[in-house]
Amino acid sequence: MKALLKVKIVILGIGLLVSCSEKQDFTQFDDLSITPTLETSIFFVKVQESLINRAVNLNFFTQDFNFDAFEADFFADRVLEGTISYELQNTTSKPIQIELQFLDGNDFLLDTEIFIMDAAPTALLTREVAYGNSGESLDFLRNTSKVRLNASNFGDNSSVSGISGAAVELRSSAQFMLRLK
Amino acid sequence: MRIAHCVFLILLLHGTVLVAQNKQVLYDFTDIPQALMVNPGMETDFQWFAGVPFVSGISGHAGSNGVSVNDIFAADGLDINDKVRERLVGALTTRDEFSATARIELFNGGFRSAFSNIFYSFGAYVELDNITYWPQDYAFLAFEGNAGQLNRSFDLGDLKTRGSMVAVYHFGANKKMNKNLTLGARAKVYSGIADYNSTNNSGLLVNTEGENNILSTTIDADLKLRTSGVQALDDAVEDDALPGTLLKRGLLGGDLGLGLDLGFTYRLGDRTVLTGSLLDVGLMYHSGDIESYSLNGSASAEGIEINVLEELADLNRDFWQHLVDEIEESLPFETTNSGYVTFRPIRLNASVRHDFGKTIGPEKDCDCRVSKVNQRPPKYANAIGAHLFAIQRPRGPQPALTGFYQRRFGHFLALKATYTIDRFSASNVGLGINVQAGPVNLYVIGDNLLSYQNIAASNYASFQLGLNIISWGRKR
Repeated sequence: MKALLKVKIVILGIGLLVSCSEKQDFTQFDDLSITPTLETSIFFVKVQESLINRAVNLNFFTQDFNFDAFEADFFADRVLEGTISYELQNTTSKPIQIELQFLDGNDFLLDTEIFIMDAAPTALLTREVAYGNSGESLDFLRNTSKVRLNASNFGDNSSVSGISGAAVELRSSAQFMLRLK
Repeated sequence: MRIAHCVFLILLLHGTVLVAQNKQVLYDFTDIPQALMVNPGMETDFQWFAGVPFVSGISGHAGSNGVSVNDIFAADGLDINDKVRERLVGALTTRDEFSATARIELFNGGFRSAFSNIFYSFGAYVELDNITYWPQDYAFLAFEGNAGQLNRSFDLGDLKTRGSMVAVYHFGANKKMNKNLTLGARAKVYSGIADYNSTNNSGLLVNTEGENNILSTTIDADLKLRTSGVQALDDAVEDDALPGTLLKRGLLGGDLGLGLDLGFTYRLGDRTVLTGSLLDVGLMYHSGDIESYSLNGSASAEGIEINVLEELADLNRDFWQHLVDEIEESLPFETTNSGYVTFRPIRLNASVRHDFGKTIGPEKDCDCRVSKVNQRPPKYANAIGAHLFAIQRPRGPQPALTGFYQRRFGHFLALKATYTIDRFSASNVGLGINVQAGPVNLYVIGDNLLSYQNIAASNYASFQLGLNIISWGRKR
């Protein structure tokens, strides 16, 4: 029995000896980088001209919105860089200004984006804001807990646009690269 | 963290040495008792045999038809990120698989009844069987993401994986019905140690142009992952009690199931033999330590949407939380503990063999006419034949075709060489060596031998070996 066990070991040993393999380097796994770029819409705000005309002040709309998406650990710990794309459309009869303020949990102002548009007809205003690398600090996003939207009317509050359903519409989407490994 | 442990255990199960499902070298290698395990209707001439516990039958197999270890890990100076993107993410499809199996016989034996000439066999083994199909769209999402992929629908049904670790207790009977026909059957009791499966998934993830906002992201999912025993093993690892838990669940303390193996051998003449077998026709009911996860529903979102005129009365509400709640309601992630049934992967074998050359052994022992039911058929020095194998997999049956040549050198040594074509390889050459030293039987089987020139570049590798004590009674 022992002899046969020895035979078995010898056969296995021979098998291992005759088998060859190119040199493998499994430490390469440490260098594997998994960094997908994900894209989705963020927020959309629409303010109708009728509402703008109702306001008597220059600032016709101010509102804070809770926005915890960037604060979530999964995002905050993994984000490498990204871009937020904005589209602003003004079909009202007055020039307007939209100010977006990114605030942290203590209402501390982290970052601001200001958009100014003439009265309709105007082209779609687009803007891309980069974060990380050569762009703005990612910490602005990581610490954002709230978005404040200030909208101002630089025109009158009585005229009516000839465009049906006239409104100011702010659209946004984001592309962020995350490190999964 | 516990889910992470579960995933780790699943990966461990998948990565552990894994039973060549296709045992083309062993099949109909009638000198080896373990060949009964792949055809309970094999012609047997043993009086009795006893496998040496834990070493009577050990086999393992690991394969991937689309990529090899060498493709990714060769020390070739190339960036692994480029290799992964070119050879995995950009090359593999959902038809490509990673599979691995392993089997260790705990004990195995057999004896011939003196009264009925029925050969009974019995034993127990532990088997791991795992298969994962390349989750093509998931891989693209993981490595590239969905950015810039407007209107591309990512198929969530690409996730197909299944694995199990099971202890099997079996008892079989093999009887020569007449001079031409031998039939065999084996009953099996499965004791499930661990199981996971996620095979019936469907759904999509897509970004389209938004109605209000720039993009609309839609997810429509019907995904389910069912596990049994994984949590128990996870707990056992944490409590440093893994051996006890494995033993308990393996000794009928886990999930239970029943199965059946059937087989036959039919002689078309003195030298031509047809065989066939159907293995693991059975099912298991998983009822203990179940954790199943599902994501079922449909949700579409364009981010936070605030139409001031419509929301005027309620502008202070938490729009972000409302969005999150709405998605979670439409697309609930649920954990359940209800039992489930799985079917064992059925395997089919069929072969034709033609013997030629001299008969083995002294002329007086050879009954070349095979005229009586109880007389053993002669063994010839040479045999040539073909073998067809198929196994039921989540994406349909996988076939393999083998041609073989067998050579016997007396009773002491028998060799069998095979050439197999299957989805893993078109150049699979296998070799089996069976040594019979008195009552002691030793066999070693290697598969895909040409790949041993650079085994890391192989898409498939397997081995089998075992040690038995055999008696043929007085008539050999």
